[in-house]
Amino acid sequence: MSKLTRKGFLGKTSLGAAAIGAMVSVPGLAHVTEADAAPEFKLRPEELKGPLVAHVRDLKTGEIAVMVGTREIVYRDPQFAKRLLRAAR
Amino acid sequence: MSSHREAPEISKDPVADSTDFYAFVSPDRSDTVTLIANYVPLQVPAGGPNFFEFGTDVLYEIKVDNDGDGKPEITYQFNFTTTYQNPNTFLYNTGPISSNTDKNWNSQQTYSVTKLNSAGNPTVLATGLTCPPCNIGPHSTPKYADLAQAAVHQLPSGETVFAGQRREGFYVDLGSVFDLADLRPFENLHLLSLGGAGKGVDATKFVNVHSIAIQVPKSMLTSDGSGATDATSSKSVIGAYTSASRQVITLRQDKVPGARHVGPFTQVSRLGHPLINEVIIPIGMKDQWNTTDPANDGSLVALYQHPELAKLLPILYPNVFPNLAALTDARADLVAILLTGIPSGIIPGFQNYTGPVQADLLRLNMAIAPSATPSTLGILGGDLAGYPNGRRVMDNVATIELRASAGATDPLVAPSYKADGAAALVTDGVAPTSDRYQATFPYLGLPLDGFNFPANVA
Repeated sequence: MSKLTRKGFLGKTSLGAAAIGAMVSVPGLAHVTEADAAPEFKLRPEELKGPLVAHVRDLKTGEIAVMVGTREIVYRDPQFAKRLLRAAR
Repeated sequence: MSSHREAPEISKDPVADSTDFYAFVSPDRSDTVTLIANYVPLQVPAGGPNFFEFGTDVLYEIKVDNDGDGKPEITYQFNFTTTYQNPNTFLYNTGPISSNTDKNWNSQQTYSVTKLNSAGNPTVLATGLTCPPCNIGPHSTPKYADLAQAAVHQLPSGETVFAGQRREGFYVDLGSVFDLADLRPFENLHLLSLGGAGKGVDATKFVNVHSIAIQVPKSMLTSDGSGATDATSSKSVIGAYTSASRQVITLRQDKVPGARHVGPFTQVSRLGHPLINEVIIPIGMKDQWNTTDPANDGSLVALYQHPELAKLLPILYPNVFPNLAALTDARADLVAILLTGIPSGIIPGFQNYTGPVQADLLRLNMAIAPSATPSTLGILGGDLAGYPNGRRVMDNVATIELRASAGATDPLVAPSYKADGAAALVTDGVAPTSDRYQATFPYLGLPLDGFNFPANVA
């Protein structure tokens, strides 16, 4: 089972790819917290069939909501938020 | 559809648009309560080629509060799936439909029912339950009554459910009411009168709707498992409402049909009492109201205490409502009827008070037996089994709420107030025909078929 780093997560934003495998680990939290301290959670097989969406809710704090299936995981990752902003410019 | 297309956003989302909600002691099975949530408003029967169905991306819920905190202790969830038997034809049906699983019915819809307890823990009660098709016409659905009856499912858990197209039960002169509150029987008195008094026109007489109906033993709704036999007990009263929710993200991709949805569900529509978001909540707040929970409605109490309609009636009907025009006190009667229930001592033999929490819930005293001779005016007509004691399918909620807004109910809580004579007479002048309903579950009549309607009324 591969563990996704933040870099790996950025490169694999479109799930459904068989390369990811049956189970993936994604850094995330039920509550907002710093990414480095976040425990991992596992994606369920049915969630792999649908989209995974990361929504930057607050650029200042780096608050990001990761949505997959019917779940939402909110955590803070200011560096990741800044990288996404750079990609959007 | 007392609350159809009642807010800017939901008016663009018919499958998530709750139109009516009913709660009543079942007249033929008085140990049970029937809850009906209607969606997909204003269905013209000739609705081909795709007709109408529930949203497969919508979470439909019926929620029951049985301890007066304004929050549901019991939630029934309904999720729908559509399956094409033959995606290579344009036809909704490829031949006469003889059953709800007939391969001739191309666009079949089924659903699951899940029950949540007060902690939100789910129990799946049933999956793969069949809906009936829409009522197309004598060539496609020649024995429609049989299809509709076959879609009534008895669940092992004790509930009975139905989900599918029915005839619209709500009746109102929609065209005149929203033409500056014109009431045709009082046309001659309107500020902008166009002539003499006339008869009301039932704008919803020949339309259909989609209904989710569930019949539940009373003992499964009370907080203590009792059968709700004491009309004076708070345990006999429940508050209920319906809501529809969608996932927070809708994702479309260029050149890819349809949309995908991701994220948690968020409420986009709710309905307890009829006509709240339509005429109590201002347009700038309607969309927000649809996303909030009834338990937070106390923040809106001023809108009920000083409703806009009560201010408009004396202006639009000069010299007809002088006492209403002079009434500036907070309308405690409307707060009781619509936000808390009516406590004991106001109406002899009746209470449906759930406590001080102000919440838009349809409050039903389950211990009051169905009336042998129902009055469509409900409690205003001396029938304690009718609205606002829950709401039955034939209750004339438009007239009842008009009269309440006009001050007819204020003397109940303010004995010094004398209601205008017109308050007890005001009406849109519409009465339903009996063929809109049936005596057995789900109590709304069979939907009109597209071959004959509007042909028969053209």
